[in-house]
Amino acid sequence: MYSLLLLNGGVGQRAGAGQPKQLVKVNGLPILVYSLVAADAVESITQIVLNYPEGWREQIEAVVEDYAIRTPVTYVPAGASRHESVGLMLAEATEDDVVIHESARPLVTTEDFEHLVASEHRNASLMLEIPFTVAPVDPETRRVTGYLERSTLRNVQLPQKFSTADLRDAHAYAAREGRLFTEDATLVAVAGHDVRFVPGSDRNIKVTTATDIRLATYLLTGGDED
Amino acid sequence: MATLLVTGASRGIGLETVRRFMRKEPITGAVVDRIVLVARDSEDYTSALEELAAANPREVELVAYRADVGDRAQLLALTERVAAEVGNVDLLVNNAGYTNPVPLQQVDFADFERTMAVNLYAPFTLVQDLLHRGNQFDLIVNVASTAGITGRSGWLTYSASKAALINMSDVMREELAIYGTRVVCISPGRTATALRRVLAPSEDPTTIMQPQDVAAVIEMLASPVGRYVDSANLVVRQ
Repeated sequence: MYSLLLLNGGVGQRAGAGQPKQLVKVNGLPILVYSLVAADAVESITQIVLNYPEGWREQIEAVVEDYAIRTPVTYVPAGASRHESVGLMLAEATEDDVVIHESARPLVTTEDFEHLVASEHRNASLMLEIPFTVAPVDPETRRVTGYLERSTLRNVQLPQKFSTADLRDAHAYAAREGRLFTEDATLVAVAGHDVRFVPGSDRNIKVTTATDIRLATYLLTGGDED
Repeated sequence: MATLLVTGASRGIGLETVRRFMRKEPITGAVVDRIVLVARDSEDYTSALEELAAANPREVELVAYRADVGDRAQLLALTERVAAEVGNVDLLVNNAGYTNPVPLQQVDFADFERTMAVNLYAPFTLVQDLLHRGNQFDLIVNVASTAGITGRSGWLTYSASKAALINMSDVMREELAIYGTRVVCISPGRTATALRRVLAPSEDPTTIMQPQDVAAVIEMLASPVGRYVDSANLVVRQ
């Protein structure tokens, strides 16, 4: 069984109109609703750990109640960084395995979660091939410093799943080393655990800007199906 | 096991919908094992229930409630009982309707409110309160009217309420897509019902569409082929 760590505490305001981005509406619904409803239908997810930006717990709880989410929800205040937030949520996880997702990816489906959970590997992340070329550079001098082989790189998506023990060990490793990671698949791998990728979908976009909201709305309402 | 709830089940389109889903050989995909009937208490309702119980070849479980869906307190008491006693409602047919057609100058505001309560607020409250209770619908059918597409002189309150129901159905369809719930609005034209007799007292009911015809359309909507015609307000007209 899995505890879902649903990252929802970011305070970025890029897409927002005077409110935290998790309450930004996509096709008229708070963006958080999509991930909550999709995960709520996954039988093996038996706990949802949901974080919230300071001062917004009441509004987040109201969304959970209004949408009659059946999976028990544990509320955790957001940390100062994504890395810290995962650490705080991980402390509340009661199951032997965790799934990590973020409310900023509203196009996730119940099938996406089920597909990930069904992977034979205990530590796995949805990832996508990179359809463009990236270059390593020195930002100071603007010097191009080498070459990266695109076929050996992946775009890291969410959701991901980990053994709770491995993820806790990896966060302890990062604390010892004084390092912060922007996501957990590479953290767990760098900490020495086996992590695999599961092919993701390019529909599962991260909604960050106002343009992203329009694109997500287009995809959610079947605008691409005509 | 699928459960169907029909409001306005004592007569007309509601009663015929119940009959249709009780048939011996339901069309594939629309097998309903339990039907929840909701109507105000009346002699019509009592005799309809007796008649349904007497001819029930598939032994469909019939659960009858007496409630005025236009009365919010009664409606909320009903949803509480349905959730506790019946469990999940898979198919919901919001059929109960009310009209008292009079010209604008003669509209009594309380009567306008009654019209909105039965035709608009009741479908809203049924859906909202059951969702709050964790109900997951497969299909919601809202029975509107062609009078809600084009306003009719003398039918202000009825036309306005049905127009609002058509619009509300569009919103419900989009918002409930996250659950995979289908929301369909049908707009029957002239149908030989008691409500139609109020709207057109001098009309010969044998010359117009029958409630059985509308019930057949509702059954089709619940079948697999229904999803191919459910994306817009569906006009059902002779």
